[in-house]
Formats: sequence, C-alpha cells, structure tokens
Amino acid sequence: MKVTIQKWNTVATWRWDIPEEDVCGICQVHFDGTCPTCKYPGDDCQLLSGKCGHNFHMHCIMEWIKQESSRGQCPMCRQPFEWADQNNESAGQIE
Amino acid sequence: MSTAARRRLMRDFKRMQTDPPAGVSASPVPDNVMTWNAVIIGPADTPFEDGTFRLVMQFEEQYPNKPPQVKFISQMFHPNVYATGELCLDILQNRWSPTYDVAAVLTSIQRFEPPPADTRSTASFAYKPYLSLLNDPNTGSPANVEASNLYKDNRKEYTKRVRETVEKSWED
Repeated sequence: MKVTIQKWNTVATWRWDIPEEDVCGICQVHFDGTCPTCKYPGDDCQLLSGKCGHNFHMHCIMEWIKQESSRGQCPMCRQPFEWADQNNESAGQIE
Repeated sequence: MSTAARRRLMRDFKRMQTDPPAGVSASPVPDNVMTWNAVIIGPADTPFEDGTFRLVMQFEEQYPNKPPQVKFISQMFHPNVYATGELCLDILQNRWSPTYDVAAVLTSIQRFEPPPADTRSTASFAYKPYLSLLNDPNTGSPANVEASNLYKDNRKEYTKRVRETVEKSWED
C-alpha cells in the first residue's frame, strides 16, 4: 500500500525555562503571561534574568530601573541589577 | 480603563481575598480601584492591642513603581505618625520596592517589620529590622514629638494616651 501525505499541520508549544509557578514580582503575572503593556507572550515580551538570580518581565524591570528611586537595584534583593547575558556569558548593567 | 496600575491593584485585591493576611483588611472604594480603605488591628502585647485603626491608601498610575500614599484616618498617638495621619515609614519612602503589594504594606505597618521583597517566599533576602512601627517606635526623628518624648521618658503616660486612641478607634 502506498500512502500519499497530502497535508499536515504542526503544532508546537513553548514555555520559559524557569519554574512553572513563578510570577513576575513586579506585575505579579505568571511568566507565561505578558507584562501589563503587552498582548502576546514570547519574543515580544521577554524575560530578563538578573545575575542575582531574580527574573522579571523585561518591560517591568526596565520601568523600575528608570525610576530614580530604584537606584539601579533589584527589587527582590536590592543588589545592583545586572542582567545575565546568555549568549556570551558577559553581563551588562542597565543604566 | 485598564492600566498597568489598575490591573496590578486588581491582583492585589484578589490576593487580599484568597490569602487574607491576619490583622489587616482592605478593599478599594466603589468605582475607584486607585483608592482603598483599610483597617489595621493593633497587635497583641502592645499598647495598640485591639485597636481598629482605619487608613486610606491612594495609588498613582505609576504604582507599583511608586509607593501608595498611606494615611491613618483614625486618630493615632505614635512617635512616627504625624498629626495629619501620615506615616513616617521608610518602606513607603526611600525603601519602597515594586514587589510590595497592598497586603505586604499593611502587614508591615501592623507587624511593624519590613515585608520580604518576594512576598511568596521568605528566603530571598534578610532585611535588618529598621523600624517596628506600632511596636517599637523610632524616636530618632519623630513625627509626633510629644508621643516620642512620652515614649522615652514616661512610658506609663504614653501607654495611657495610646489606649485613649484605641478606645476612640472603636467609635469611628
């Protein structure tokens, strides 16, 4: 018997590589959802991991770091917030 | 209108309902999630014990990146509370963190210790206790000089004056 495939549909799911129950400490939304200003999770609304080990929606932590009162500190541990760059293992500091 | 601040406040409200912290209660006023009424029960083993102190919390659109304005409506006699009801509390000023929510703010006023920044896990950071508000007033730069002086020099009279506000809080 010869089968000819005429058409197929592929479906994929994804999730961030962090504990499932985690929420963004700033907006309190699960990381599989978006920050309050975005509509679609994923590339449009990325997560940012600090060297201190704390994760946030990128838009949420950027908004906090912009505040003078943040003094550039992680909202969780108050260490200077530096993000861990996964590509070249170097790290940058948000100004 | 749904804004980031309003969505966050709805989450705060949900948390107050599903996981209510002991000794405090709060809810938004009808039709405006940016203004909340709250009640703090005076903690046991303090002169404030059993008081039902009312507060108003006013949020801005920059919440949670900016702290709410928190004000006692009930009359308070406390070294760190101004005659206007405003509090001198560092987590509401220069020690604010956007991870704090309504429950964390009220609990820290009631228990008078700073909230853990990560309100879901206490393992994140060891804060040094800097201000135990109702329990252990900071008389360094008092908001109420009379209360501060009595607290230092005449604890019996201080307690008496506080107990008067406790009784008054039941009438409000």
